[in-house]
Amino acid sequence: MTDTRLMHTVGVRALEWLWAHRDGFRLETDVDPEVGFLERFKPVGELALICRVLFREGVAGSRQAELARKLLDHTWRHTLDGGRMLVRGQRIEPMSPIPFEVYLPYKELGYSEPEVERATVLYHRLESWSALELDPTRRLGLAAFQRRFGLTPRPPEAALVAPTWLARRPEPWTVGGHIAYDVTHTVFHLTDWGEHPEALPPDIADYLATWLPVWIDDWLDLKRWDLLGELLVIDACLPRPTLDERAWEGFAAAQQADGAMPAVRGMPEGEPDEVFDMIYHPTLVAAFASVLATSRALSELTHAAP
Amino acid sequence: MEQSGTSALLQGAVQDIASDVVSALRGGDHVRMSGTMAADDIEGGLALAAVRVLGADLLLPHVLFPTPPAPEVLAVFRRTVEAFPLRPDAAPTVRWSHWAMRRTLLRLDTPLNGPPGMAADPEPDAGWLDDAPWQTLTHQLAVLTPLALPGEDCAVALAARRRPVDVARGFVRAVRRRDWQQAAGAGRWLTLLDGVPDTLGLETGLDFVELMGGTDPRVALQVQAARVVRAAGALV
Repeated sequence: MTDTRLMHTVGVRALEWLWAHRDGFRLETDVDPEVGFLERFKPVGELALICRVLFREGVAGSRQAELARKLLDHTWRHTLDGGRMLVRGQRIEPMSPIPFEVYLPYKELGYSEPEVERATVLYHRLESWSALELDPTRRLGLAAFQRRFGLTPRPPEAALVAPTWLARRPEPWTVGGHIAYDVTHTVFHLTDWGEHPEALPPDIADYLATWLPVWIDDWLDLKRWDLLGELLVIDACLPRPTLDERAWEGFAAAQQADGAMPAVRGMPEGEPDEVFDMIYHPTLVAAFASVLATSRALSELTHAAP
Repeated sequence: MEQSGTSALLQGAVQDIASDVVSALRGGDHVRMSGTMAADDIEGGLALAAVRVLGADLLLPHVLFPTPPAPEVLAVFRRTVEAFPLRPDAAPTVRWSHWAMRRTLLRLDTPLNGPPGMAADPEPDAGWLDDAPWQTLTHQLAVLTPLALPGEDCAVALAARRRPVDVARGFVRAVRRRDWQQAAGAGRWLTLLDGVPDTLGLETGLDFVELMGGTDPRVALQVQAARVVRAAGALV
């Protein structure tokens, strides 16, 4: 098993980079509505989700927790203008689930914008919202978010697992990059982003316990850090995580001195905003994988103690 | 990297012989060694080297089906065993490959340098497989496919039998890396093992390997061997 300090340090450094580059979380308010104002919300929502996991697991050091709180405050107040940008997003594209998906983790952390909630409750009553043609994995995620918000998911969550790729437990040798991301996100949604590993159906957990080591081995050798990070999250969601030493050492070694995690191979070059857009996600994933793996490693220690 | 002339020639000769074995496996026929047998002395050396690369799988059709090998093919096989004696510093896979060739000869021919009924060579050590990570295990087994036979109970086969999930993982890894030869070899082993996870999809997996890599006769050989083994298992 991997040294817990190594896994923990990856997350500490990732948060430092995210804080230092917080201005990268930016919306394009003057973008042509036809291009899509909502396109740039994704990084903000992902940041809030990961920060929420960090608080939930309670394994962050004081510096890490402070940075997470400051990042949330910064993005809520500045990037989202206290939630007004989410309202604006809902008005531009009422049927898009994105503003709601970004809002939920902020709400769970104590931030509030009543107008987003009012619109969400209304949209939830619409046939159109429940009939949106989303990918099965995305649909499953939206249903989980509806439940967490206090709504009764439409369609019901239980009916949404079977259409995912993972639920069918297909031939593991057919997995490529796109399928692998579907797999990781199905697990995120089934476990509420690692909060309830026990919610993973046993046949899926067995399937992953058997084949995940192969995928981790492969994407480690391919130096695809973004996907490897997500696979390391999945490992930490399993009943018996492997916390694979070779994978974690490779992952940690790929991280830059300032905490940035490249998506593939080494650091990209370009304008600061371009570079941010290419590496914010793997860096967030690094923070996510770090906090879950650290938490699981500490739990194992607790259980192992006499 | 450009291949040297010799290794390209050798590779071609191995492919030719593998094609002959595939034909025999498909037709339930004798191995003919059509191309390579018509060789002069120099190429005769090449043929022996090629047979050494392919190992005991040259006579696989005659192990799987109750047909005696053609005398001239058996003669080349015997000459190969004699021409490449085991060196004291040989790697474990080379020791086992050599052991498999001598054992096959013992089955299908009179024993080497001894009276009929001579006991088989003692088995080499296979302990290195038990300590190998699943990636290495599969790679080594794929090199030792001549030992992947129904009813085989040598130490290598027993080591494979103890780790069906690890070999299945190795198969997935090989397919992902498009190493069709390793994938086909691992697939042949897997057809012999109990406890292979159903979710692997071995049968379609082997068809996929054949589709993607089957133009290489060495891949086709392993896939076809796996099919014969599977069919034999279904009859038992």
